[in-house]
Amino acid sequence: MNDKALPRPVEARALHPLTSLTLMLLAVVAGAALPETALVLAVYLSLLVPLAALAHRLREFLRTCLRVLWPFVVSLVLIQGFFTPGPSVLFRLGPFSYTLEGLGVALLFSARLLVGLGAATLLTMITRPDALMRALVERGLPNQIAYIVVTTLQIVPTFQARARAILDAQRSRGLETEGPITTRIRALAPLVSPLILSSLMEIEERAIALEARAFTRAGPRTSLVTLTDTRLQSAARWCMLLLGLAAVAVRLTVWRAL
Amino acid sequence: MEGLKREFNTMTLVMIPVAIAINIAVGQLALLIKVPLYLDSIGTILVGVLAGPWAGALTGFLSNAIWTLTGWYTPAIAFAGVAAIIGALAGVFGRTGWPNVWWKAILAGLITGLVAAVLSAPIASYVFGGVMGSGTDAIVAMARSVGLDSLGANIAQGTFSDPMDKMATYLIVFLVLRALPQRFLARFSNLKPREG
Repeated sequence: MNDKALPRPVEARALHPLTSLTLMLLAVVAGAALPETALVLAVYLSLLVPLAALAHRLREFLRTCLRVLWPFVVSLVLIQGFFTPGPSVLFRLGPFSYTLEGLGVALLFSARLLVGLGAATLLTMITRPDALMRALVERGLPNQIAYIVVTTLQIVPTFQARARAILDAQRSRGLETEGPITTRIRALAPLVSPLILSSLMEIEERAIALEARAFTRAGPRTSLVTLTDTRLQSAARWCMLLLGLAAVAVRLTVWRAL
Repeated sequence: MEGLKREFNTMTLVMIPVAIAINIAVGQLALLIKVPLYLDSIGTILVGVLAGPWAGALTGFLSNAIWTLTGWYTPAIAFAGVAAIIGALAGVFGRTGWPNVWWKAILAGLITGLVAAVLSAPIASYVFGGVMGSGTDAIVAMARSVGLDSLGANIAQGTFSDPMDKMATYLIVFLVLRALPQRFLARFSNLKPREG
């Protein structure tokens, strides 16, 4: 259970949230479109790693990438290696043969996941969720959706603490939460239902409080978060969008067979 | 448009963050006491059943987006579309009143699980190379070893894991609906009221 308070990522001061978002989307698209493992890795090394270094989060970024990625790599190298048919057999294990082609597929997928998951990780490190939501609301995202995201991030730690408290309380009353699988499944209802019921009962009160504060009023709102954008960044975003579209187009035409 | 507005009233908007927090907290609780179920969509299904398909879909989508956005489970965003469909389905089942009857609730879970398995498999196969970096990969390996291709193996794995999880989830939703006071249920219009 994650009891830590929500991490509050430092803002990469110079970058507008939409610029970071576009950069990360470009990385994901490029990673998916490029047909060679080396090229995909180049996207990681030339785009994501320098950005993380620029935001002074390089060590943390690399460590998180490693932690998120390694279970995938292990499974990929085993499953794709053994079950991708191909002529160049590296070694045999019982009835199964490990092929070079399979290893190649495993490495390509690993590189793509490194770029995709790395981009998502970096976005969370260099952009604050509330700033990102503000930027999207300024571009037409409904206020209500921003409310949902920001509120969720605020209340999750409370919920985790409450789940922990219910677990402790039920255990102290003698509820078995360890042992055989049937015991653990039977423990679910007394753990889950108090959490759900108590939190649902608060909803009505909160809804009335919000309605009393003009939550449903139409029209623009004032925000505590102010964002700075520059012409250069706006131009860069358009370039990245075009670049991403070009990558998709090339993928669907020239590299179709790869 | 009017219907959409009614679906997203203040009660629904306030419930969605709570539902996502329930998804996260209960999902982590399931990991903590080591039951072989995800149980990470109870909130999504509750919103769908009570408020309607659009609200359920939005809850599912945002729930996965937040798993990624917070770094708790980075790959989640790839499955946000599947989560949205699970939420929308819950809205449809709510309209029929199935979640009020225990065996119909389980049936709704079975259908949801099968749909989820079939929709997740192509994503797992083509985006993640057929693995999720977790214990379920053992099932994928077994399915591959008896001759299934990557997509087939992922469908097999999903069909093994998802219906079980969604049936348990719907059973919990059934229990929660029975325990909630009428006054609370009356604030939502999607769920067909219990008979008798």
